[in-house]
Amino acid sequence: MNTHLDRSAVPDRRFSRYIVFGLIVVLAVGALTARLFYLQIANGTEYAAISARQRTVLEPIPAPRGLIYDRNGRLLVDNVPTFAVKIRPADLPNTQRDAVVARLAALLSTDASEIHGAIDSNPGSAFDLVRVAQDVDQATAQLISEAGYELPGVEVAVEARRQYTDGPLMSHLLGYTGPVSAEQLPDLREQGYQPDDLMGKVGLEAQYETDLRGTYGSESVARDATGRRTQVLQTVENAVPGASLTLTLDTRAQKNAEKALKWAMKKIGMTRGVVIAMNPQTGEILAMVSLPTYDNNRFARGISTADYAKLLKNKDKPLLNHAIQAHYAPGSTYKLVAGTGALNDREITPQTRVMTKPYLTLGDTKFYEWNRRGWGPCNIYCGFGHSSDTFFYQLAGMLGSDRLGYWANQYGFGAPSGVDLPSEVAGIVPTNAWKQDALGAEMFPGETYQAGIGQGYDAVTPLQLINAYAALANGGTLYQPQIVREIIGPDGEVVRPFEPKVIHEMDVRPSVLRVMRNAARETVTLRHTYNLVDLPIKIAGKSGTAEFGVPDSRGRLPYSSFFVGFTPKDPKHGSFDKPDSRLVVMAFAHDSRTKGNAATEIVKYFFQLHYGIKKDYRLPDLLERGNFYEID
Amino acid sequence: MGVIRAEPVRVTDWAAKSVGAAWRAFDLQLATYAGLLAAVGLVMAYTNSVENGISPIEAGTTFTRGLMWAGIAAVAFILATAFDYHWLKTLSWPVYALQLGLLVLTLAIGDGVGGSARWITVGPFTFQFSELAKILMIIVLANYLASRQARLDSLRAILGACLLVGPPLILVMLQPDLGTSLVFAAILAGMLWMSGASLVWLGALAAGVVAMIPIAWNYILRDYQKERLTSFLNPTPDITGSGYQLYQSQIAVGSGGWFGRGLTNGTQAQGDFLPVQTTDFVFSVLAEELGFVGGMVLFVLFALLLWRVLVAGWRSRDPFGSMFAAGLASMILFQLVVNAGMVMGIMPITGIPLPFVTHGGASLVSMAIGLGILQSINIRQTRAEW
Repeated sequence: MNTHLDRSAVPDRRFSRYIVFGLIVVLAVGALTARLFYLQIANGTEYAAISARQRTVLEPIPAPRGLIYDRNGRLLVDNVPTFAVKIRPADLPNTQRDAVVARLAALLSTDASEIHGAIDSNPGSAFDLVRVAQDVDQATAQLISEAGYELPGVEVAVEARRQYTDGPLMSHLLGYTGPVSAEQLPDLREQGYQPDDLMGKVGLEAQYETDLRGTYGSESVARDATGRRTQVLQTVENAVPGASLTLTLDTRAQKNAEKALKWAMKKIGMTRGVVIAMNPQTGEILAMVSLPTYDNNRFARGISTADYAKLLKNKDKPLLNHAIQAHYAPGSTYKLVAGTGALNDREITPQTRVMTKPYLTLGDTKFYEWNRRGWGPCNIYCGFGHSSDTFFYQLAGMLGSDRLGYWANQYGFGAPSGVDLPSEVAGIVPTNAWKQDALGAEMFPGETYQAGIGQGYDAVTPLQLINAYAALANGGTLYQPQIVREIIGPDGEVVRPFEPKVIHEMDVRPSVLRVMRNAARETVTLRHTYNLVDLPIKIAGKSGTAEFGVPDSRGRLPYSSFFVGFTPKDPKHGSFDKPDSRLVVMAFAHDSRTKGNAATEIVKYFFQLHYGIKKDYRLPDLLERGNFYEID
Repeated sequence: MGVIRAEPVRVTDWAAKSVGAAWRAFDLQLATYAGLLAAVGLVMAYTNSVENGISPIEAGTTFTRGLMWAGIAAVAFILATAFDYHWLKTLSWPVYALQLGLLVLTLAIGDGVGGSARWITVGPFTFQFSELAKILMIIVLANYLASRQARLDSLRAILGACLLVGPPLILVMLQPDLGTSLVFAAILAGMLWMSGASLVWLGALAAGVVAMIPIAWNYILRDYQKERLTSFLNPTPDITGSGYQLYQSQIAVGSGGWFGRGLTNGTQAQGDFLPVQTTDFVFSVLAEELGFVGGMVLFVLFALLLWRVLVAGWRSRDPFGSMFAAGLASMILFQLVVNAGMVMGIMPITGIPLPFVTHGGASLVSMAIGLGILQSINIRQTRAEW
């Protein structure tokens, strides 16, 4: 038996089996070839189109955000390139999420919960990038970049961050940019916003968002299956940089205002205050300081939730611009309204003497003079100059609450001034209609008395107050205060030049305002405002003290002080007969129980700094804790 | 009895022959086609290494690892050619034991994706022993069938062959690796066919397998396996789910056109749209970057290789040689059809490598050993025994 014999047992079959196997090979390769032909040649164009479609995508090119300058061309906001760390949730496997986030948190020296929070509050889809950290330093960015394979879904992007030159000095005005929120995104998407976009959140950044943002361009980008961009194919549309803003603000005046306010606050131990300076001829805001403040650069860098919570909890509300976003009882500064109204309605003439006394009685209630003595018969100069309460109770009584309200509206109270800053409040002008609406009753005569001296229901914003005095100083034109002077296009051309905006011309005789200006000068010359008259410049103005809150153990209420003052065009030799003032300044010192009027000292210091007066007229003793009412 | 048949040739006999005579019987064509296919594999490894933005010739890339394995495979090929294949007949049962041992070892200490056990990791290298097991299976089956040439009309011999294939097939199935276990089945079918086994019994066997399908479907296959097996039948596949790979693969192949996008320019491949592009879907990268012409070159190389394998089997005077060639040809053909068919959407998705081209040391070295044994058979047929 041998192999030869074995094989010969099936010789016929052997050949046919080889033939069949060979045929199967030919058929199989033929079928594969046919299929290859079908896909590549017969339908190749179609598949190539699908391939092209799924690997290119139109992506936005961010436009450089517009810059902001002060009135002298000083750069207040710049764009600086920074590294941001972003996550595309779709590329971050759920099983690895905790590990990746923990690793990332360690690299960024932040809390893992912050990163989890950012991912969970992602406004877009899982395929959209979520910013988890911004303003990351270069070394860290590089580390994260290189750890790419261990950090799936994590990307490092270069983006522009806003850098605010003066930080806290102008935070309330400039505001800051921040990530778009989930609620806003659906609307913003239509305007070309991306889920990981930054936009102005508060202040001018928010108010002028559309101008500053510019127009995003677009480019077609090759991407891989995970959506990661691999290469830019072509620019479809160039980005148009945002417009820049030139403010009415003068950095020097702003710094002076802050310096004056901080000085008094430190002296008194006071925690909240406002200083505003304006040009009454145009409505331009030269300075607007609200303390306490915050550093908007911290927001631009991405503030931590803990730090943000701390700002929110502060009782003095540092995030609020107290100049426009809060209202307060204006105190005696409001006597301007009753004085102007009574004169213009001919309830009194400039010569009419009204008896001032220790108190007035209305029913069973006594309405006291602030010094509990009075000055006997007083005309408007005397009444306004001494800031007599009984004088203005009677004027308010003559006018009645509705007429008083009318004159308040004439001065711009009770309505937002329309300043180009967001979230301005309107204040309250109490009239019968207002009270009916708010409390369901008419004004009582006693309430009208209180309204006449800036107490009771009266509530104004510091900006409304200075704007009323600006109208007095300019002879009766109520301007809309403005903070942005010009809008300048990306090519340097002025897109929107400055133009004063008039809210209304007051329905008042010029002579009435001349009398009131001189009465305001009388306040200074009568030494109601201490040594303000000694300054080598002429100042007219009015102080105010307004009680608020709850009485202390001795039954006395805490109070805030105001002062609004203005100078003639020629501060040394001019007069207040002419409505030519170029500068009006106001200060608001919240909860300032001091021997003197704290706000007056602040405004005085500002004038000294502003006009470069070498001699120091400040009276720091007046800022010692005490009761203003008990001194005089 | 059949002792002569199984007796190995003594070393002196072989050494006594002139080297020239042995060289003449060496099938240069077979070696050339295999070498060209391996070269195609290296080219694909190169293009797949480019996309990471790392130089392809840096250590550790798909390409450099491919080069290393190609070197090892060349050595394995030469050693297998030099090795007298007659020893394999003698050592058939130890070979079978080795095969089962490797598969059990893989199950015991192997790694794999998602809890499977498919390969063994030693240091930086991984080796998939189921690839080598296929060649070992061919050796065992070739010896078994060759020694039963006269009894192939009996059901006993056919069932015996099936029983031999059973344990390794089940061990591979347990990994789980459905694709490789199907290759075992294909090898068995091809070798039974070529052995000249009775058509009646082969038909009955085929009918039995068909009858088994519902049972396998309901009790053996896992859900993801069923999904992969059927997704190619669906004309509108779920593009985001199981049909994604298939869809992207067809787009890749389809967008290749006549000449392709050029090496390393495949946007589907370089953009990571293709899944497992260095292994199971390497053909779609080839089709996208080298086009219809490149695909045809590959198919023709496979056809020529299969031709030379069949010629070796036909020429072999030793039934073991014929059976070994039949097994090798069945394996190559099956893997080619299933892999390329899968990539082009006419075959189910199974993780079967494309011989020579798919990146993977085990597959390439196993193919080299298989072809080396075939060359060993070629050059040892001149010593006729009659």
